[in-house]
Amino acid sequence: MSQVQIVSARLALFAAVLAAWALLPTYGVVDPRLLPPLGDVLSMLARQLGRPQVHEAIGITALEVIVAFIIAVPIGAALGVLAAENDYFGQIFKPMLFYVFSVPKSIFLPMFILVFGIGFPQKVAYAAFSTVFIVIMSATAAVESVKQDHVLVARSCGATRGQILLRIYVPSMMPVLLETLRISMIFNFTGVMIAEMYASRTGIGHLIANWGENFQMPELFSGVILLAAVAIAFNEAVRLLEGRVSKWRT
Amino acid sequence: MTAIEVDRLSHVYAGAEGGVPALQDISLKVEAGKFVVIVGPSGCGKTSLLMMLAGLRHQSQGTILCDGRPIADPDPSRVGVVFQEASLFPWLTALDNTEFPLALRGGPREERRRRAEQMLNLVGLEGFGARYPHELSGGMKQRVSIARGLVQDPPVLLMDEPFAALDEQTRMTMGHELLRIWSQTRKTVVFITHSLTEAVYLADEVLVMSPRPGRIIDRVPIPLPRPRTYEMMATDTFGQLRERIWQQIRKTE
Repeated sequence: MSQVQIVSARLALFAAVLAAWALLPTYGVVDPRLLPPLGDVLSMLARQLGRPQVHEAIGITALEVIVAFIIAVPIGAALGVLAAENDYFGQIFKPMLFYVFSVPKSIFLPMFILVFGIGFPQKVAYAAFSTVFIVIMSATAAVESVKQDHVLVARSCGATRGQILLRIYVPSMMPVLLETLRISMIFNFTGVMIAEMYASRTGIGHLIANWGENFQMPELFSGVILLAAVAIAFNEAVRLLEGRVSKWRT
Repeated sequence: MTAIEVDRLSHVYAGAEGGVPALQDISLKVEAGKFVVIVGPSGCGKTSLLMMLAGLRHQSQGTILCDGRPIADPDPSRVGVVFQEASLFPWLTALDNTEFPLALRGGPREERRRRAEQMLNLVGLEGFGARYPHELSGGMKQRVSIARGLVQDPPVLLMDEPFAALDEQTRMTMGHELLRIWSQTRKTVVFITHSLTEAVYLADEVLVMSPRPGRIIDRVPIPLPRPRTYEMMATDTFGQLRERIWQQIRKTE
């Protein structure tokens, strides 16, 4: 199939989903109380985006996501590099990291509430906690993706340690590192949302949970569209960058 | 003039019970401009020896002189190295790969580019500078490796089974190309291979190594005239030289 065909098929699929969303509730095929028509949801989204209460919630959620990201990524990356580069540390901590990685992080949420109370610190701490393990795993994989042959070649060309780091490690690891950023943001965002929906008085997640409990379906769906758009935009932006720096990975 | 002088070199790998002896009492001299090939069974320490000549590994005993001075650390202005397959950096173009040793040193960018381009032309890759390694064939990749090894114009070029991963036909062509490059640049070459045909075809002298711990058990001068041609492979002299080396290696297994 040609690229044009693939793209037009994708657009057709997207249009079909939107059309179904617009038409099925309107003609009563689906209960409009459960799935309000697309038009209603979009006008609700426009109205919500005009409300100061929603602005405030978006601001808080964004701040939580950013702070948790800033905490989890450097710590995870440092531990991951240490586990990959330092044999001793790696052998001791790797099994434990793998065990904890396999446990669903949401079961620890009640503990975070007990320790931090309900609020900003609890949500940030929980999101950072649920993200840090995937960062450790990916950072380890990134270091291990560096070929020792390439390091040897660089040394034979007279490269210093700093030059090996900058000219061999960084470009070798860059594709995996960007992938790590992308995936850790997914975990991070999920962590903040869970924390906000489970027990919180602020943030978009809290609004969405409320709307759901009160059966305000147009509000609920407008929130879903908003968050989906933000998440997809971040993901695609990093993916674009990833594509640029990993052209050579074929 | 002597380009490389190895004097009573031995090497022991650290390990249980005093370690594993890898190389034993190796002495050799390579005159400037000569093409010397080292052959020997797998695991005999050929590659270790080459690593030491390149300053990438340190021997337990003995000395290595290059241009009359010891080799302690890698010095690409004295010794260029061409490795086995896949040693190019896949994130750099052919030109950037060639320029890599120069880029480490800094200096005017224009000049570095020009020098790297010259080297690509020398190895027959004019117009391929913008290609990435995955866009090049196996033979072309090794041409880039040779260009990179020569870019700082070192008097000595070390080659560690550079054509081992290539198919037989490409390998023959590359051997021939290497001789052309060598005759144009007059470098001293130390070349490691498993292929006895390749060894006899390329060398002025073939050094035969024993199994571990590696020693030099024979030095076979190759009196075939230069330039070498493919037809020489069919001659009696070629066959006898190849047979002599083969007997040495077989005896030790």
